[in-house]
Amino acid sequence: MSDPGNWFERDPDWFKKAVFYEIHLRGFNDGNDDGSGDFRGLADKLDYLQWLGVDVLWLLPFYPSPLRDGGYDIADFFTIHPDYGSIEDFKYFVDQAHQRGMRVIADLVMNHTSSDHPWFQASRTDPSGPYGDWYVWGDDDTRWSEARIIFLDTEPSNWTWDPVRGQYFWHRFFSHQPDLNYDNPEVQEQMLNVLRFWLDLGLDGFRLDAVPYLYERDGTNGENLPETHAFLKRVRAEVDARYQDRVLLAEANQWPADVVAYFGDGDGDECHMAFHFPVMPRMFMAIRREDALPMVEILESTPPIPSGAQWGLFLRNHDELTLEMVTDDERDYMYDEYAKDPRMKLNLGIRRRLAPLLDNGRDEIQLMHAILFSLPGSPVLYYGDEIGMGDNFFLGDRDGVRTPMQWTGDRNGGFSRADFQQLYLPPLMDPVYGFQAVNVEAQLRQPNSLLRWIHRLIALRKDHPVFGLGTYEALRPDNPRIFAHVRTYEDDIVLCVHNLARSAQAVELDLSRWEGLVPEEMFGRTRFPRIGELPYLLTLAPRGFFWFQLRKDEAE
Amino acid sequence: MTSKSEQHLIDFVTSQRWFGSKTREVTHSAVVDRATLREEDPRLELMLVETRFDTGTHETYQLLGGDEHELDSLADPRQVRELVHLMRTNTKVPAGEGIVEFAAIESFAGTGHELREARPVGAEQSNTSIVFDEELILKVFRRLEAGINPELELLRFLTEHGFENIAQLAGWYAYAGRQMDATLGILQAFVSGEDGWDRALATMESEPERFLDSLHRLGEVTGRMHAVLGSDSDDPAFAPEETSAESLGLLTATVDEEIESIFMDLPEDNAELEPIRGRGEEVRERLRMLTNLGGTGRVIRHHGDFHLGQTLWADDDWVVLDFEGEPARSLPERRRKRSPLRDVSGMLRSFAYAASATALMRGTSPPVAWEERARAEFLDGYRKTIDQHLVPSGASMDKLLRVFELEKAVYELRYELNNRPDWVKIPVAGIVRMLEEEVPV
Repeated sequence: MSDPGNWFERDPDWFKKAVFYEIHLRGFNDGNDDGSGDFRGLADKLDYLQWLGVDVLWLLPFYPSPLRDGGYDIADFFTIHPDYGSIEDFKYFVDQAHQRGMRVIADLVMNHTSSDHPWFQASRTDPSGPYGDWYVWGDDDTRWSEARIIFLDTEPSNWTWDPVRGQYFWHRFFSHQPDLNYDNPEVQEQMLNVLRFWLDLGLDGFRLDAVPYLYERDGTNGENLPETHAFLKRVRAEVDARYQDRVLLAEANQWPADVVAYFGDGDGDECHMAFHFPVMPRMFMAIRREDALPMVEILESTPPIPSGAQWGLFLRNHDELTLEMVTDDERDYMYDEYAKDPRMKLNLGIRRRLAPLLDNGRDEIQLMHAILFSLPGSPVLYYGDEIGMGDNFFLGDRDGVRTPMQWTGDRNGGFSRADFQQLYLPPLMDPVYGFQAVNVEAQLRQPNSLLRWIHRLIALRKDHPVFGLGTYEALRPDNPRIFAHVRTYEDDIVLCVHNLARSAQAVELDLSRWEGLVPEEMFGRTRFPRIGELPYLLTLAPRGFFWFQLRKDEAE
Repeated sequence: MTSKSEQHLIDFVTSQRWFGSKTREVTHSAVVDRATLREEDPRLELMLVETRFDTGTHETYQLLGGDEHELDSLADPRQVRELVHLMRTNTKVPAGEGIVEFAAIESFAGTGHELREARPVGAEQSNTSIVFDEELILKVFRRLEAGINPELELLRFLTEHGFENIAQLAGWYAYAGRQMDATLGILQAFVSGEDGWDRALATMESEPERFLDSLHRLGEVTGRMHAVLGSDSDDPAFAPEETSAESLGLLTATVDEEIESIFMDLPEDNAELEPIRGRGEEVRERLRMLTNLGGTGRVIRHHGDFHLGQTLWADDDWVVLDFEGEPARSLPERRRKRSPLRDVSGMLRSFAYAASATALMRGTSPPVAWEERARAEFLDGYRKTIDQHLVPSGASMDKLLRVFELEKAVYELRYELNNRPDWVKIPVAGIVRMLEEEVPV
């Protein structure tokens, strides 16, 4: 029954209009009181997620794993980590989500496995055996030296010596995550089997982790190679042929010009969606500098994408705020502004949640969400950010942004009934961001809470397909503190005006093309003066914004 | 390009009363599966017709006809009798990509003899119903949805668990195939009696006591219906469940936002709105007081669209009809467990409508305190039979009931503003009453 075809009307554009919500399963809700979140616990929170209005739940990896990289180190692709429950629990959850009109996608790591994976253990112990060629082995640790090291803080090289096999193995990420050898057709076929397995269970798609790195070639940096694209086309063809209305979302932390290639050719024959990484740090830069230019520029330099494709946009996620896609100067600026304590830095990024990054400023949090929701792309929210959860950078790696969801002010924040010592990570308990101050229960009851505001924002966006399907056109007002643009889809025209400054601002917008239309503010449905020949004057509160629907004047 | 026969199909389907998407453009229509229910003359074909819209979505409808030219044979008594005959014989008919299965309830005795007359029931929106010899009624579902049909499911459960205040289930037929698994039709005993709504209005002036007294019994029947629906903890589809920690918060937030949204733009030109105009914040404050309660009880399967029009007074007792749930909701949504007090609040709002309808339609005012008496009788009966484990205790039950009533009244306000501005005074009066009465303690 969990076949999504039973629950959803066929709609090839569904993911373009969707709001995504990223969930750290371990940290969401504990259904069996063992201190770790699980599928039963998550299923119990589906009413909340349905109310919130999100359309797609994206789950971080839930496969068996030694958990040395938050589950991205997969030790078996065909089942569930016992902490999270059973395959039956998974099917129950997906079925319940579908019944509530929500789809489910899951993280899948195709590039590598955990070194604990039986394939790797077989490969290292039996080089001539059936798995001998499933990983990338070499006698020489200098080959492909053009490939950058991604986890700079922990990894000295992309090669690690394996004393068992007596060879080096290749890994683009941690040394406990050997890269699979995609030149081996058996590896390709097995990965397709993995995809089929989960799609057959009713999953609605995948967020494909670390896709640029599948192949290695001499004289290249090993990223975005033609062979990688060829394999993704094969994956897409398989999905299109057998599974309708599913989605493939690429994680390719690259410049937009390179990311666009992951949509493929024509109408799009690789991934349906890809994250737009560079726009994110520039949003943080723009609000701190009180200058729209960084955003306007990055959106201008973003190439057009195929008709069947869509960007995924986000403010924060389970990783550090990555600064790979900015210049050195910009990175220094970001560190100065957003990582005042060196412990906040990780690799090329800042390991903090949204609310602390914005000094817990309510206006700033709302403004950033408004901008995110107004841009061309589908927004991806990170669990806990809808209530303004904080972080704990004293925890290792990225655990500081993966603490338990804060449901109530009760013990363990309502996340688990286990003893405190049993919890996978301590919940936040500080006076500002701790669960007694910040939790779902309290914010549901406060009409003016952040949660209730985000709920209204999601509902508003879903009422207007223009945000998912419409064209984007930047207005370039003289006042650089104003980020203003127009989205258009059929006869739905929406004008979005955001004040990045800490002070009130006035702006004159050239709206002459829409002369005669009447702007109606979309939250309060208040009508503003009709657009005339002269520039349209607006005044905005500090960090304030307006979204207007430009409507025909009914008086005429 | 659409062929002539396809155009014929589109024209036929889109012109039917039961076609639900009249505002959408149908681009294609095709018979996606068919089964021959009778070969010999008159031939009877069951067709599953898919209509596709320009938006890329689709719906599936059930047609029963002779062939591509005769697309509706339900007006022909011989043809509809054949459906009942197939149920009596528990026949399985192969379709192109599935099977159509007919089934009769063994314990039901009323299908033994030959049927003679068949008359269609008029004025239906989404289904087609036929009454046979004033003994049986067949409801044919037109728009098909994949999954378990709540009406069949609830009728079977209530029958198996000995709840007698329903029209007895006699049989059904269903399709199972590549397209979907869906219930196609239900056969029930035909109960003749007086519709609860009509009865309320008919007695309002002349003999209100007779009707008000019978509401105590309706409360008992409703309480017993809920007690039965929440009685089987071994059946996962029916086992009562505890509510989640957020359920009260989610309910509060949902109702609060509906209040906020409707008060944001109340039309200026409707004088009926004066008693509540500018009182949005007061209503929200009242909601906050009402949602300060100890518990919300359990959630169970329930009627889902409960009001006087769904009841029948027959042989000195009440019969509950139509377990389809709210047609506008999706099928899984209609099968969701919720508080039984939602049904209760639906009936209480129905009393308010009945009291005002006499004034609106006949210009006469209802007897003094008619609505209050109706509420008291019904709730008194309900409390006698409801399983106390299913509802919150004491003042919490009264408060939760008022929260649901407020939610319904706000929904009615929006509906009437959009459809029947003259009727706006009914939800307005309901909201005012909730503002003025004491909060239960």
